[in-house]
This record gives sequence, C-alpha cells and structure tokens, in this order.
Amino acid sequence: MRPITEYLHSNLTPGESGDLLWIFVYVVVIFLGISLAVLLMNWLERKILAHMQIRLGPMRVGPHGLLQSIADALKLLIKEDVIPSQADKIVFWFAPIIVVMTAFTLFLVVPFGRTHAVTDMNIGILFMLGVSSLGVLGVIMGGWSSNSHYPLLGSLRSSAQMVSYEIAMGLAIVSAILMTSVASGTGTLSMIGIVESQYQQHRWFAFQFFPLGLVALLVFAVAMVAETNRAPFDLPEAESELVAGFMTEYSGFRWSLFFLAEYASMIAVSSIAVTLWLGGWLRPFPNALSGAGWDGAFSFVPALTFVGFGGLCIYSASRMPKVRGMKLQSGGLAAFGMLLGAIGLLMCAPALRARVQDVYWFVFKVSIFMYLYIWYRGTFPRYRFDQLMKVGWKVLLPIALAVLILTALVGVRQELFSVVAEAVR
Amino acid sequence: MKIPPLLRKLLLLDIIQGLSITFKHQRQADVITEQYPLERPEIAERYRGYPHLKVDPTTGETLCIGCGMCAAACPEKLIGVESERDPETKKKKMTAFQYDMSRCMFCGLCQEACPTDCLELTREYEIALYDRKGMQLNRERLESDPDRTEYLR
Repeated sequence: MRPITEYLHSNLTPGESGDLLWIFVYVVVIFLGISLAVLLMNWLERKILAHMQIRLGPMRVGPHGLLQSIADALKLLIKEDVIPSQADKIVFWFAPIIVVMTAFTLFLVVPFGRTHAVTDMNIGILFMLGVSSLGVLGVIMGGWSSNSHYPLLGSLRSSAQMVSYEIAMGLAIVSAILMTSVASGTGTLSMIGIVESQYQQHRWFAFQFFPLGLVALLVFAVAMVAETNRAPFDLPEAESELVAGFMTEYSGFRWSLFFLAEYASMIAVSSIAVTLWLGGWLRPFPNALSGAGWDGAFSFVPALTFVGFGGLCIYSASRMPKVRGMKLQSGGLAAFGMLLGAIGLLMCAPALRARVQDVYWFVFKVSIFMYLYIWYRGTFPRYRFDQLMKVGWKVLLPIALAVLILTALVGVRQELFSVVAEAVR
Repeated sequence: MKIPPLLRKLLLLDIIQGLSITFKHQRQADVITEQYPLERPEIAERYRGYPHLKVDPTTGETLCIGCGMCAAACPEKLIGVESERDPETKKKKMTAFQYDMSRCMFCGLCQEACPTDCLELTREYEIALYDRKGMQLNRERLESDPDRTEYLR
C-alpha cells in the first residue's frame, strides 16, 4: 500500500523519482490506453468520414457500429499470416516490429500531466524527433523485403516524403523551443519544462510573438500530416495507384501492427503539437482564471463530459428504430451510456477530480488534432508527388526558416536594441 | 467582395471553404442511406424481379397459350415452353414451363413478347438463394405467388 499512497502525494513523474513499480504501471497503462484509442479512432474515422460523405458508416456490429473495430481487430488476429515465398523473411518479419516499437517508444516522454508521464527527459523533444524518424526505417524495410513492385515504390515515396518534411517540422519545433527561454532566460528541451514555461509566460506558444507562434504551429500541422503518411499526403499507400503501398504484402497480424503504429504515431505527433504550442495539459486560462474557485469549477469539466456523452448515448438509444431485432442493440447502447455516466459521477470524487484533470485537457487537445486528421482526409484530394515535394521544400521550409529567424530576432530584441544604441553612441 | 488570388492563397481561404463544406455535410438529417433489413425499400412500379405466370382468377386456368414467343424473345434462351395441341378444341395448350433464373438478367423482353400478358416480372426482389438448384423454376413454382419470407434481423 505504501508505494501507492506515497506516489499519490509526489509531484514527480515515476521516471524522475526512480519508482520502478510505477514506471511499469505507467507503461502498461499508456500502452493499453493508446491501443484502445487506436480502436476508438478507427471507429470514429469510419463514422465521421461516412457522415462527411453523407453515408452512415458502420451500423450493424453493436449499436451504431460501436463494436465494429473490435470485430475487425479479432478478424485480423485470426487471419492467415502470409509471408511471400520470395520475400526476405527476416527483414519482412522485423519491419512491422520496428514501426510499432518506434511509435510506442515516443510515448515515454509525452506528458499527459505534470506527474502523468513515464519520465521527464531533459532532451525530451529531441528524443521524440529522433525516435519518430526511425519509423521510416521500418517502412523502407517493409517495402524492400516484400520483393514486389508496389511496396518498393510505396516505401521509396514514403522515405523521400518523410525525410523532406522532417526538416520543416524540425525548424518549426526549434522556433518553439526558442520561445521557452523568453521569460526565464534559459530554454529547455524537456517536454514537461516546455509546458511549464508556457504556464510561466502566461500564454501558449501558439500565441507567443503573434503571429510567429501560430505560423510555426501551422507549418508543424501540415508537416505532421505528411510525416504520418495521412491524406492528403498519403502517397506511400495511394490505394488507386499502389494498392496499399509498403503494406501490400502484409496480412493479418503483421498488417494490424502497421495499422496500430500508424495511428499511434498520429497520436504521438499530435501530442508534440499540443505540448509545444497548445499548452499541453494546462486547462484554458490557468493564469487569468486562477484561484480555488475557478480550479474547482474547471475540475468538474471531465466528469461533465463523461455524463454528457452518457446522456447522448441514452438519448440516441431511445431514438433507435423500435424493431424486434434492434432491441439488444438499443439496450446495449443505453447500458454503455449508463456506464459512461457512472464513470462521470465517479470522477466527481475530489481525489480523482484533481488528478484526472491534466490528462483530460491533454487528451481533449489531442483529440481535436485527431478530428482534423479525419477532416482533412474527408476533404482534400491527394497531392501529386512533385506537388508534395514542392510544398515541402519551396513553401514549408522557407516559411519555417523565416519563422525561426524572426523568432530568434524578436526574442533578443532588447539586447539587439542596446547593442545598436551602443554602436550609435 | 472579390479577394485577390494571392491573398486567398495566403489566408488558405479555399482550403477553409472546402473544409467547411465537408463539415456541414455531417448533419445526420442529410443521410439518405437505406437501413435495408429494417426499412423496406420503395420498389418502382415497373421494377422487374421474380418471374410469375399469371392465372385467370375466375377459372383458375393459366393465361399461357403455349405460343413460345417468350422463349423466342429471350436473349439467353433460358425459357423452355412445351405445348401440345388439344385434339378436341384444336388449341395449343402449355404442358410444361421451364425458367432458369440463374442466367436471367431481368431484361423483360419475354414479358413484352407475351401476347396474353401471362408472364410478368414482379416487384419481388428478395430472390437470393443458398443453392443454384432453386433457380430452376417450373410451372408450379412460377404460378404460385412467390412466398416472401419476412426478414427478421
């Protein structure tokens, strides 16, 4: 019991306090949470995309198709796992593992809250950039080892794309890192430090040095879509040209690993964007609306969200068609709504309320980015390869470079003025 | 007000316009997808589905005169009509009728060729089967009303 209670009062991440038990617990919780989020994201993507195209999406498996992604996951796991006879078996076997490992390793430093990260690395953002660029290795390995044309072409496209967009992405990140030194004089690369410096500077970095922060966020938002190979930059797996790109020869469990990694890395880069520019786990207006009263009011928001979603479920269960075959489904939806409501009520407990808040705001901001991913996919047609390179090198890179230089100049304007004044005198 | 193209590009106006269109489409009321087993679709009056041989309701005798026009009109040659001449009335009488629905494309040419409007393609559309044997329709099957099984789930 002691380690649990001791931890609940600590203000450090388990990695910092060297608490092995809690490190293990966090790793397991994050792994399960991300896997669950991927399942949910799969369902949401199909539903939202369908609604954008004036369709209904999955409706049959479970109420409103809620269990569709679970059914699909089960199907993938029991499917025959084919390895092409001409494939390089070892490389073929390793490729999905590398992709999944990199995607999940990223979450070691993602700060879901002040104490809700596995560890607080002092080079956190550098670690994330480095590990995320390892993912391209798995993609190339997968494409090459399949010994087939489409995967090879897909992985070649993918490597060119990921490498060229990483530069614009990195420059945008550097400009945000420069901003961490504004108030304190010394910057930080730690993910938790970055969020804390946003708290100290009383504004998110998206609004620091307006409009420089916002432009950097925009550059990052475009580059991160390209980096994760999502529409409209999904050339590596352009269905109409390359079947499924580097994943063409993969089936069953291995394919689902690629799938898992793609969504996990989407969540990871979204959480970089949230940490760097949108204040990470900070609730809206932590400085302007500070004090116990506002803290208490905001701490009820997570519980209210859950209760609201539960209410929505029960409402739509009551609106389902009154047919004999739908009885089980509407009952299930109502039960699910009640479960959500119960979780919401549980969250009103003071001890839980305080600890859940950080995670809630972080997940809320990340989910906005996840919605954007789906929204882009429903809206934009795919880029041609030369257009993709043009956007990366001729548009995003100069903008990111200009933002970086301007940020640096604005950051040291006091010193610059004094130097100029000295020289004039 | 007309916005210059360069400004449109810089402010990403076209992109925002496209995004707003897809966002608006998410209204559930716009969805026209049919929830088929739960909702019955509306079948057009001239829909060509399951074939049927009409029977005179007053006498209970078939309207078919065994002329074989339908068999001649069928582009797939899937209709077979057997007939014999009645020695007393000297009229042709249909003795057997074969209809191979597995090859039918429901073009309706047989229906148009029928001089007595006996053969018709009905509005019955649930004709999927587990077995091809059930697709060979004989006279009894064609003259009986297609028995529709209510879809339960």
